[in-house]
Amino acid sequence: MSVSDMTASGTANVGGYASPVVVRAEDVSKRFVIRKEKSLKERVVNFGRSQKHKDDFWALRNVSFEITAGTTIGLVGANGSGKSTLLKVLGGIIEPNGGFVQRRGRLAALLELGAGFHPDLTGRENVYLNSSILGLTRKQTDEYFQSIVDFSEIEEFIDTQVKFYSSGMYVRLAFAIAVHVDPDILLVDEVLAVGDEPFQEKCMAKIKEFQQEGRTIILVSHSSGQVEALCDRVLVLSHGNVIFDGGAPEGIAALRESFEH
Amino acid sequence: MTTVAQERAERLAELPFEVSVSAGPKSVGGFVASIREIAAHRQLLDLLIRRELKSRYKDSSLGFVWSLVKPLVQLLIYYVFIGTVLQASRGVPDFAIFVFSGLTLWGLYSETISTGTASIISNGGLIKKVYLPREIFPLASTGSAIFNFLVQMVVLLLAIIVLGQFPVSWNLLYVPVAVAVVLIWGVTFAVLLSALNVFLRDIQYLVEVVMLLLFWASPIVYSWSFVVKAVGSHTWLLDVYLLNPISLAILAFQRGLWQAGSQTRVIDTNVIPPQPWPADMNLMLGGAIVVGLVALFFAQRIFSRLQGNFAQEI
Repeated sequence: MSVSDMTASGTANVGGYASPVVVRAEDVSKRFVIRKEKSLKERVVNFGRSQKHKDDFWALRNVSFEITAGTTIGLVGANGSGKSTLLKVLGGIIEPNGGFVQRRGRLAALLELGAGFHPDLTGRENVYLNSSILGLTRKQTDEYFQSIVDFSEIEEFIDTQVKFYSSGMYVRLAFAIAVHVDPDILLVDEVLAVGDEPFQEKCMAKIKEFQQEGRTIILVSHSSGQVEALCDRVLVLSHGNVIFDGGAPEGIAALRESFEH
Repeated sequence: MTTVAQERAERLAELPFEVSVSAGPKSVGGFVASIREIAAHRQLLDLLIRRELKSRYKDSSLGFVWSLVKPLVQLLIYYVFIGTVLQASRGVPDFAIFVFSGLTLWGLYSETISTGTASIISNGGLIKKVYLPREIFPLASTGSAIFNFLVQMVVLLLAIIVLGQFPVSWNLLYVPVAVAVVLIWGVTFAVLLSALNVFLRDIQYLVEVVMLLLFWASPIVYSWSFVVKAVGSHTWLLDVYLLNPISLAILAFQRGLWQAGSQTRVIDTNVIPPQPWPADMNLMLGGAIVVGLVALFFAQRIFSRLQGNFAQEI
């Protein structure tokens, strides 16, 4: 949908009721400076010529879009096209150089493995720490604790330090926490591929449930099948630009086309 | 009939849009916004402090005892070698209390700064993956430094009581003021240096060296009267010495807890007059607090400017 469909209060009509905008990116740009030398000696030797040793790299250029509540949106694109950077900007982890991101509602991010786990603490301690990071109070965590452990299916290891966990166990626990903090917006970056098949199915079921409950899901994925099955909107990125914004099947087609160039 | 999704949509429509703090208001408004954000995360701060304390001595059987061993060994070294062998204790009554009170307060300062400086880097895993007010990491290091300080403080007070030297006087009020000065300046440097350390990793090594220097630039193992004597007629040097807020705080702390320093004592046949405490100490302490708060404000503003790039630099 185009911006002109929005009413002044930033809502759009979807499925018979007003669906508010929850994430708004306005002209977001992100530049990375790649410095090739790092040590003092190299800096002194190259002093004055250091401009030559700096490379600019625009990970995102003038990206603007709005996401309304209840949408599942897929960010797709080739490696290095800016998907993960965009997700991090949306999550407030990286500040853009230009433009801004506005959002509302509770946000949970599942970026890479076990975000925020401390290797020396036990699973139990990490559950409390992680839920607190994601915005739960201690009392709420007490309430959800059993349910988190049940979902992750790693009850017998919950009092083991997480440095002894396998990567699958990490992801199980991280995912279980993220889905229990009652997020309005869930950011998912390629993490679902790690668990075994039954767990992946469980995650998919949970995501479907989330969709029913009107939560907004933003996911980065290289799996066209997954994107087509879950997303009702796809943003295709290429070299930091949004080259397509629309329905999932068309988005996948646009992605394939961009690979051929 | 309203569905779950509809209820959620209605609730979300009511919420105001948030922008991240560094994109928000600048200067004083931004400072207040940051403080508010940190206050909203105080439960997390509490958990992070616990995590820091727990993980430090994880898997060691003595655990917390180790945090006491280092200052006690330091005390022993200074007591035996500086106090007895070099005979400093002949000019400083109750030398053990004197040294340990200085070491305790210095420990708070140096631990706040050295662990604070490394805090952003060592929590890189979190910073790269979730948004939190990042000031929370140097503050968590400060929290664990405060915990260790309190443990040492208990030992110090016990020792003072056992030796029958408990200073019941108005001078005790210097203790909280001294701690406040140390905390304000400690947090200021921890916040500032933790941010700079992300971009220039040399900072954390530099800090170690500078802290070593500063230790000897404060009256911890030698008393204030030694300084006054050494300076002689160049009294302006004393003012320079006291420009360091930590020297001042340590003096105030000793004035509060080290009773013998404010009395005339006799060691062997040596008559030792009370310490010549600086005349306008109260004023200077007030100044150290006010200037410290201003410095803290600027440190937080610099931190706030730099934090946008943390996630990509770590």
